[in-house]
Amino acid sequence: MEHCIKKYSGLVWTIAKRYVRDHSSAEDVVQETFVELWKSAKRYDPAIATESTFIGMLARRRAIDYARKESRRPQLDPLPDAELLTQLTTEPPSVAYSAGEDVREVIKQLPEDTQQIFFFHFEQGMTHPEIADKTGLPLGTIKTRLRRGLIEARNKLQHLGAAEPSTSYMS
Amino acid sequence: MINQELLKHFEELEAGRILGDLDADELQQWESLSKDPSCTVDLSLELTAAAIEAELSHDQETELSDSLMRQLQEDISKFTVADDHAELNDADNIVKLSAWKRAVTTPQIPWAIAALFAILFVANSLTQDGGPNTDQPIPAIALNPSPEEARDAILSNTKNLVQLDFGGTDSYNKMTGKVVWSDELQEGYMTLSNLPVNDPSKKQYQLWIVDPTRDTKPVDGGVFDIPEGQSTAVIAINNPLVITNPKAFVITMEQPGGVVVSKQQDVVAIAKAS
Repeated sequence: MEHCIKKYSGLVWTIAKRYVRDHSSAEDVVQETFVELWKSAKRYDPAIATESTFIGMLARRRAIDYARKESRRPQLDPLPDAELLTQLTTEPPSVAYSAGEDVREVIKQLPEDTQQIFFFHFEQGMTHPEIADKTGLPLGTIKTRLRRGLIEARNKLQHLGAAEPSTSYMS
Repeated sequence: MINQELLKHFEELEAGRILGDLDADELQQWESLSKDPSCTVDLSLELTAAAIEAELSHDQETELSDSLMRQLQEDISKFTVADDHAELNDADNIVKLSAWKRAVTTPQIPWAIAALFAILFVANSLTQDGGPNTDQPIPAIALNPSPEEARDAILSNTKNLVQLDFGGTDSYNKMTGKVVWSDELQEGYMTLSNLPVNDPSKKQYQLWIVDPTRDTKPVDGGVFDIPEGQSTAVIAINNPLVITNPKAFVITMEQPGGVVVSKQQDVVAIAKAS
């Protein structure tokens, strides 16, 4: 457990700070993420995701939930808590998550403007309005390109993994 | 029958949900479409986002504060259930559980987790001792148990439970209820009667847990709804943080999705240890 904290605290902290700017709230997100990790650890299956992807997913959920609550946007419900992890059916989604090189390779295959938006969003942690300011693109375009880019990246990763259709978890 | 265009639209909404950028209108569309059996969602988009984020973020090194590190150490030491049953793979430091994928198929999370723990406990005690280990909590819950079954199981099989009665405040004085909580399992259920039905798009009930050993502030215990036609509802407690010594459970009415800090403007009910 201590090894895990040492190894992944940087990743979890980076993700927490990306979505929750307040320092103390980001610390809460880190703490909640690791508690969730202790709870979910037994459900982790390396066939589905690498450790860092799994932990990154938990951190993203916590951070996004926290950001939603902080922004007091009542129309947005929290993401289902650990729902996806417990609702998997017998087949894992067949996406090649194992190698970071695959992820980078796939990003390189995206259209250049999408790559740039990915860089701003995922690496720099910029918000949509910040990206819009930086690029001069309308906010709606940023949203659309991020969403479509994510879908495209998923499809390319599936292709790399000679993927079957990914598994549904909602009955 | 839903058409391809709608499926594509739903996929984009799902991507937005994962990226955390759905607006209210889009969220409504997502909720509505997600009820259609044709609009299935899978892990792949979320894992892709997490993989990209992990890959692009992992070079950034950060030192956690001493106080946070201390808190995490404390959490680890308290979280005995997870520690006792974790199975570390020495080769890659991966925690594995081969049975979970077969065991967990329900969309009802807390019950699924309870069922999973039940299987783990039974399997663990059988493999270690050749028979059930009575020292460990074994919530003998069937797969996909209802909340009532999950509650009854921990009532029957778990020691050292916290059990308190709820009392409604002035506007809710007809309500009655009980809460049962296990520190060991980090699991608990509320049985609530005569609470008014809420409209989740306008207000939601939120549980708060007062645990003086961890914080002076109450800890969020999750939001929940009382649907139409249920005079008595059994609600699973959804605690993101470890609770070790709950002294009170407080239900408030809050905005949809709950709040980070309750102003306690609408306190519904309180269950307090004497």
